[in-house]
Amino acid sequence: MTTRRRRSPRFAQAIPSSLWYAAFFIIPVIYVVVASFGMKVPGSAGQVDLSHPNFHQYGRAFNSTFFMVLKQTMRTSIFGTLLCVLIAFPVAYFLAVKVSERRRGLLLAVLIVPFFTNFLIRTLAWKIVLAPMGLISNFMMSHGLRHSEIQLLDTRFAVQLGVVYNYLPLMIFPLFVALDRLDPALREASKDLGANRIRTFASVTLPLAMPGIVAGLVLVFVPLSGDYITAAILGGAKGNMAGALVAAQFLQAQDPALGAAIAVVLIFFILATLGAFAVVGKMTAEALRRRRAVELPNVPAVDTKKLVTA
Amino acid sequence: MSNDDKVRILMSRATANRMAAQVSRRGFLGLTGAAATAAFLAACGGSSSSNSTTAIDGTEATSYAKRLNFYAWAEYDDPDLMKKWGDIQITVFNSNEEAIQKLAGAKGTDGFDILTPTGPYIPQMVKQDLLEPLDLTRIHNFSNLDKVYTNQSWDPGNKYSVCKDWGSTGWIYDTTQVKTPINSWADFIKVAQTEASGNTSVLDAPPDLLGIYFWANGIDWTTEKKEDLDAAEAFMVNQFAKHIKAFDSFPGINLTQGQYALSQVFNGDARQGLLSLESAGQDPTRYKWGLGSPATELWMDNWCIPKGAKNVDAAYDWINYILEPANSLTDIKFHGYHTGLKGIEDQAAGLKYKEMVFFSPDQVSTMHSGAINTSQDRLVQIYNNVKAKAGG
Repeated sequence: MTTRRRRSPRFAQAIPSSLWYAAFFIIPVIYVVVASFGMKVPGSAGQVDLSHPNFHQYGRAFNSTFFMVLKQTMRTSIFGTLLCVLIAFPVAYFLAVKVSERRRGLLLAVLIVPFFTNFLIRTLAWKIVLAPMGLISNFMMSHGLRHSEIQLLDTRFAVQLGVVYNYLPLMIFPLFVALDRLDPALREASKDLGANRIRTFASVTLPLAMPGIVAGLVLVFVPLSGDYITAAILGGAKGNMAGALVAAQFLQAQDPALGAAIAVVLIFFILATLGAFAVVGKMTAEALRRRRAVELPNVPAVDTKKLVTA
Repeated sequence: MSNDDKVRILMSRATANRMAAQVSRRGFLGLTGAAATAAFLAACGGSSSSNSTTAIDGTEATSYAKRLNFYAWAEYDDPDLMKKWGDIQITVFNSNEEAIQKLAGAKGTDGFDILTPTGPYIPQMVKQDLLEPLDLTRIHNFSNLDKVYTNQSWDPGNKYSVCKDWGSTGWIYDTTQVKTPINSWADFIKVAQTEASGNTSVLDAPPDLLGIYFWANGIDWTTEKKEDLDAAEAFMVNQFAKHIKAFDSFPGINLTQGQYALSQVFNGDARQGLLSLESAGQDPTRYKWGLGSPATELWMDNWCIPKGAKNVDAAYDWINYILEPANSLTDIKFHGYHTGLKGIEDQAAGLKYKEMVFFSPDQVSTMHSGAINTSQDRLVQIYNNVKAKAGG
């Protein structure tokens, strides 16, 4: 006699995470979208009047300032994301392929160590390094490399450095996972078939790491586009991001309706940018596949029945 | 066992922000750099020995625990003084508006006992039922306050608030980079566009940013007139924005890093910056402070008890404690703002940079309170436009 173990329905495992997302992601997003159709109650500290839903706030959100700031934001986040890929790929490859298994755990742990400190404090620490009387500037002056203080802080350079520093691990980890799962035999096969290192990288390693690259791009680009703290701390006036526009409406103008409308527009643009990247990526991949497709010479079809009976 | 007898302090966003920003920055600096550590010690005033902490906590026969949750600006009270009183947790806010949002959203469940809002925001808070009415008979040290600083227009009869401290706005500049003396906001604007172009910081708050223009041009900085706001926007966006290096509400505390040639700054923050230069072994005379002129800001932060406070008894105890002249003096040494107590200026005789804390009647007559009015949304809009332009 067999006793059958009672199974809970398959979706049961998804309940906790679904509830979590419903409570802390979906409901707030719905709230923001709903609030964006309302109006601030005049003179109030941010009550939203939803009795006459309309698109008025979207009219206010779309203005030249928004697009100027959006341009600055996209410049910072797209450039920052691309820099992250370029820096993270060699690191991830090194970790996944070149480092011995024994050391790998240690090196991965080292990558996580900075996360033990709050990101705000790590970002503020860069101020000390980059300041005109800071480490780099003082070092260069005391070694006669420069005669006057060097202005690194409150520049676009500092913004890019700060965002790459803060988001790099988010790129390294998915890349590492993708490269780590790559069977070394595939690279050997590529070599056996006569491909050199570059050809092997371009035709085998890179395409197979694509899922990791895509995951990393999304993981870095999305939060980076919404982050206005890192840029503001290191970039000063040059670190203006669209997130700051949203924050100013909520926290200074006490106008959640307009803040919500700007937030919705910002979400739309981030998704649109991701979508554009996805389309371009898909088309490139398709074009590459077609170019690489191997035409086999006409071989008479094999009769599988015959093979079996033989 | 519940710990529900904690006192929580609700402060204005501005005050809380100030406290929060300062706490986090200073705590961080203290950890990372010797110079910064020295600055921290200097700012603490050296008046309280470190072993005096917690000595009083729990030793008095009170019916309530000496615990409070502050909602306040950053780095706004002497940590040793607070430790001496009892157990105080601080949550920091960065603007009065932010504090109001949070309090209104929580509807008294956020657990704060003490709040330090800026005066003009108090009527809005009262209207939204965010503040507990104060029983002045329980604040026996209220009589220590100078009458000039009680019964303010935003809270007649001190029904909801008691003066914590007040201050003003001016500038500080590096005389090695700025050779033209700055004596007025018009000078400030001129230097920001020339010698200090691209190396100037302004306060990260819409009214103060626009104040530079209004004060320089003899316009009331609480103006609601469209033509005033239009003129301010045109000037700040088209001519001034491109010279701004950063929007920074606490440039003083980073003075040792030489980040700016010219900064718009609160008097207490500028003073803390000069003290930190001294402790870092740098020359404080390199920088020159000036109070805004011909007109400038007057802000007053206040002790309030938010609705839903769990430790009301402890909150009253704290307010009485901080209104003791000796404690008030210790706090002034730390934050560098006038606390409004009678005769406190005389008692502060040996205070460093005393002229940055206590102002002459002539100076005070040039200071004007801010106001929350119909131009609030427009100010934020202009501020966003200036920021966008400065971000080029």
